[in-house]
Amino acid sequence: MEILSSSPEETQKIGKAIGKLLTAGDVVCLYGDLGSGKTCLAQGMIKGLDVAEDKYLRSPTFTLINQYKGRMPVCHLDLYRLDNINEIEDIGIEEHICGDEVVIIEWAEKLEKLLPERRIDINIETADVNTRKFIISCPDERFVHLPNPNK
Amino acid sequence: MLILGIETSCDETAAAVVEINNGRTFQIKSNIIASQHEIHNKYGGVVPELACRRHVENISPVIMEALNKAGVTINDIGLFAVTKGPGLIVALLIGLSTAKAIAYALKKPLVGVNHLEGHILSIFLEKSDLSFPFVALLVSGGHTELYLVEDFGKYRILGMSRDDAAGEAFDKAAKMLKLGYPGGPAIEKAAAGGNSRSIPFPRAYIAKDSLDFSFSGVKTALKNYLNGFTPPYSTSTMYLPDVAAGFQEAIVEVLINKAFFAAKRYNVKTIVMAGGVASNKALRTGMQERGSREGIAVFYPGPILCTDNAAMIACAGYHRFAAQGFSPDTNFYEMDAEANMKL
Repeated sequence: MEILSSSPEETQKIGKAIGKLLTAGDVVCLYGDLGSGKTCLAQGMIKGLDVAEDKYLRSPTFTLINQYKGRMPVCHLDLYRLDNINEIEDIGIEEHICGDEVVIIEWAEKLEKLLPERRIDINIETADVNTRKFIISCPDERFVHLPNPNK
Repeated sequence: MLILGIETSCDETAAAVVEINNGRTFQIKSNIIASQHEIHNKYGGVVPELACRRHVENISPVIMEALNKAGVTINDIGLFAVTKGPGLIVALLIGLSTAKAIAYALKKPLVGVNHLEGHILSIFLEKSDLSFPFVALLVSGGHTELYLVEDFGKYRILGMSRDDAAGEAFDKAAKMLKLGYPGGPAIEKAAAGGNSRSIPFPRAYIAKDSLDFSFSGVKTALKNYLNGFTPPYSTSTMYLPDVAAGFQEAIVEVLINKAFFAAKRYNVKTIVMAGGVASNKALRTGMQERGSREGIAVFYPGPILCTDNAAMIACAGYHRFAAQGFSPDTNFYEMDAEANMKL
């Protein structure tokens, strides 16, 4: 399915709606250029997973992994600075993917063969200065009735 | 007393020998930094696995060089200080394990230091008579934070980045502009001679009275500009110095305004800058000019002490040691690295 956002605020709302539908063990992979809104969408998802509203949900680019306590443990990964699959394996990423937490991964394409088969993919396209198109593919039907923030 | 500091929280392997006199004045005997920028430059960022492997290779030679340059032996060291967080866990563990092994073998005291405290206190290596309180603006690749510093060991967080750190924004912008890593110095160089007003990049103040920062918006604004989504809708005539200067100014202006706003709000007459971005010339000049206009003293250490270094860890380690009544961290053999250590 596809959904459009016309502002960072709307992106966060979409993220929050997605976050509410996530369950333990879900792996959400985000794909998109620098500045396309991956962290912004992830921040909304983390809020939708009931992580306290006053928490600082910062970009994990530097720290690689930010962890939060929500309805279930939440792990926000950013592979931007990693170059190849060996480096990713070395930081112990598989332990997170195989656990009972919700894992949100920015720059997930760098995971290559480590990408789990059962996962939620969200591709972000920059359509316009503020417009982003989120293309969600999920092995089940849970996002079909995702509320549209434009309506 | 001689203090050996060890720092491996991110991409620098560093060791330093610092002497403390009269409990306050530091003399840096050696400050060795094995930088990995050349390796990282290829990847446009810090690569943890490379960082980790390099730390293992570098740590012993760097410590030996620090001792040799200081003209002392390891037995002359009275206190060991090591960064225990925050940072990349795989990198932190190398410095921490090394420090623990040496302190254990020599039966000498060891203290674990918060990397952020090291940055904030680095100014005391050059200006030992600086008085409290002051506002500290800590700006680097991983951090953009404002603290109220009331004494050694007394830090109150006033604001921090809600998304990207200032240095991260510079790194990502430099990548978009294909300028290389680290991004801050690359953008500063590209900005020379540019008109910072020709492209109106947005300034993110969040709320009027907020001391928090947000730099992801200006990054996206640069992306939009480079994509031709915003005026003049084509980058074919793009003048790189103007773009770099405009981007730099958008970040620097917010940093300056928030630091002075914090000083005013807490009625503090001194601002101290630290961290890699504090070496940025536009930031330094802007802070000094505003400081002399408003009667607020602005201090920042020299460029070497702004980067990740071990002299600042020795300095902060000494003050922690003194605050603990000149005793080491209890049970330091079990001390663990803390990736998300808070100040």
